[in-house]
Amino acid sequence: MGAGLAMPLGSVLLAFVLGAIICLVTGADPIAAYTGLLCGGVGLGCTQGENSALQISNTIVFFIPLVTAGVAVALPFRAGLFNIGAEGQLIAGAVACTAIGVQFQDLPTPVLLPMVLIGGMAAGAIWAGIAGVLKATVGAHEVVTTIMLNYVAQWLLRYMIIGGPLQLGEGTSTSKPIGAGAHIATVFPAGNAIIFGLPSSVYRVHWGLAVSLLAAAAFAFLLWRTSFGYEIRAVGQSQKAARYAGVSVRRTIIFTMLIAGGFAGLAGAVQVAGVDHNLTDKYFYDTTGFDAIAVALLGLGSAVGIIFASLLFGALHSGGAIMQSDAGISSNLVLVLQALILFSIAANFVGEIRRILPFGRAKPTEAIPPEMPPAAGLMSGPPASVEDEVK
Amino acid sequence: MGHKRLRFLGLIAVAAVVAMACGSTPSGGATPGKTFKIGLVTDTGGLNDKSFNHLADVGLEKAKTDFKIQGDVKESKTGDDYVPNLTDFASKNYDLVIGVGFLMQQAIGTVSGQFPNIHFAIIDGAGTDAKGNDLKHPNVVSLFFKEQDAGAMVGVIAGWLEKNGKAKKNKHVIGAVGGVSIPPVNHYIAGYKWAAKMEDPSIQVKVGYSNNFNDPAKCKGVADPMIAAGADILFQVAGGCGLGVLQTAGQKGVQSIGVDADQKDADPSVIASALKKVDVATYTAIQNVVQGSFQGGALTFSIANEGAGYAVYNFQVPAELQTELDKIQGQIKSGALTPPADIPA
Repeated sequence: MGAGLAMPLGSVLLAFVLGAIICLVTGADPIAAYTGLLCGGVGLGCTQGENSALQISNTIVFFIPLVTAGVAVALPFRAGLFNIGAEGQLIAGAVACTAIGVQFQDLPTPVLLPMVLIGGMAAGAIWAGIAGVLKATVGAHEVVTTIMLNYVAQWLLRYMIIGGPLQLGEGTSTSKPIGAGAHIATVFPAGNAIIFGLPSSVYRVHWGLAVSLLAAAAFAFLLWRTSFGYEIRAVGQSQKAARYAGVSVRRTIIFTMLIAGGFAGLAGAVQVAGVDHNLTDKYFYDTTGFDAIAVALLGLGSAVGIIFASLLFGALHSGGAIMQSDAGISSNLVLVLQALILFSIAANFVGEIRRILPFGRAKPTEAIPPEMPPAAGLMSGPPASVEDEVK
Repeated sequence: MGHKRLRFLGLIAVAAVVAMACGSTPSGGATPGKTFKIGLVTDTGGLNDKSFNHLADVGLEKAKTDFKIQGDVKESKTGDDYVPNLTDFASKNYDLVIGVGFLMQQAIGTVSGQFPNIHFAIIDGAGTDAKGNDLKHPNVVSLFFKEQDAGAMVGVIAGWLEKNGKAKKNKHVIGAVGGVSIPPVNHYIAGYKWAAKMEDPSIQVKVGYSNNFNDPAKCKGVADPMIAAGADILFQVAGGCGLGVLQTAGQKGVQSIGVDADQKDADPSVIASALKKVDVATYTAIQNVVQGSFQGGALTFSIANEGAGYAVYNFQVPAELQTELDKIQGQIKSGALTPPADIPA
């Protein structure tokens, strides 16, 4: 456990130190940069009259989808599956939520809100389920299929809002708005009563927060308190051992992906129901599902870890804009920090990733006959010992 | 054991927070006379988009040198950032908050309603509700452009080249590739076609739409049949998608015309660009606030107020063509000629 915690914390620390060096090298002030980040992230130490409550609210808004999508990456990871498709599943959930919310816009909240959330989960589950079924039946690698399904989801969304059935009107690239009954309420009342010095409607933090925390709790319960969670972990440790123990590996893979997709779809549905209330072309560039991979890795695949990692990434996202306007440092530094965090985690995960990726399994050059240079060995196909292993 | 470690971590976190808070420098004291605070929020294209966002920043920088203002920029990373970025400036009582591009319409509509005492400006859009209806908040000014003015100037170039046998194929065929058939796109094409026909009555102007603003392959697919049918000057009005028009023109040895910003670097085939002078619009909006003459509603930028125009490069402009361009520009400026907003038959 101790070594486990050292890794993510060390990664974050290393990233911030390297980020400070990058600031210094480029002639910027790292203290001003991190003060801006801290202010925008958690509302502390603001120098330009920023409203602290607003900053915290913004961070939580970014935090909410990261937790749920992070779970969607962490669960398959426990089963030895790499779900790169959280973004596509999230989009599928957002599209389904919007389609239902537009189609049945006159229904009241107690009916419509569950409909859009369950619809979003179902769409996400189907999206991930395709990859799960392909993996379990024909062995198509989930890394490849989930990445490809991301594109399918993005272009489906594009069609839906540009020329398709959800388009608001000729020439627009947004969807019609969902009905008021499909909205998740904000924590603070709508309207312009002054709360913490600003009109209350500027605080966009919404009850999707509860949904995401419940999702994290459900993930932990499923993984550690149910027999299916045990099967997931067993398959993740060793498929052969799990099979000998009577676990159906195929069934586990399919259901793991279905559940993971459900979480990702829920993240998309909650985003539409809680914040956007329609689909926009922001999803052409959205990175929540990819940030979720970093969140799941940084959080070591545990529910509590995912929550802390999401807080960090949400705060970085929210803080970047304040850093730019206060310190005059491009908010791209935030992307550099995220990348550095991910890089140092990935360096620690190399062994694990090699085990999961298809090309990671090939034995190193020792199988190549000594008279052949290594490059020639690579050119002439896989070494003989790997062929034997396949047989 | 785990708890002890967590508590230790908590201590570290608190120490870090305190260290950072102490390290922050207090903001400068009050200065004599009012310094106007201007906030610029880019869309996801960012400051280096060589187009709207960049030009808006150019306008802001020019205003910084001319007026006593503090200009701050926030680049939006995703569409999720529009509302928080606008809200941050508004909550800090900025004198003017500028949003770049129609993608921010709904965000401007929302935030301008929450902060009725803050002035907002939006390039190429209005403050709208979720259904795209203009909310007509009195604290919002829309900065629109007469795209047909800029389209007419590049239309003069295309028509003159065809008439005088200076084009690549001289079949009196030119083309225009639009992104989606929406008013700003059609205004450009209307001016282009109108002016080209005025120069060369025998000209044939092919117009097509890619139904896309991002994918160059789509626009190439629209442009290629036009080139095959004899078109040798192609005007792109499709943003990032239109880069495909410029590139395929270069590959097929014909000429092309860029849009919105100066696109001379996009491809060697580009001979001119129709310009929306977002820098002029941004500067004007800031000037109005500084001089106390801000008014809600819409400002329209055209050749008459230097807010639209053209640029020529990669080829030597014949003196006669330059004379013609100056004549037409003068006539549009004086109102003697009015390029149409709708594409002529």
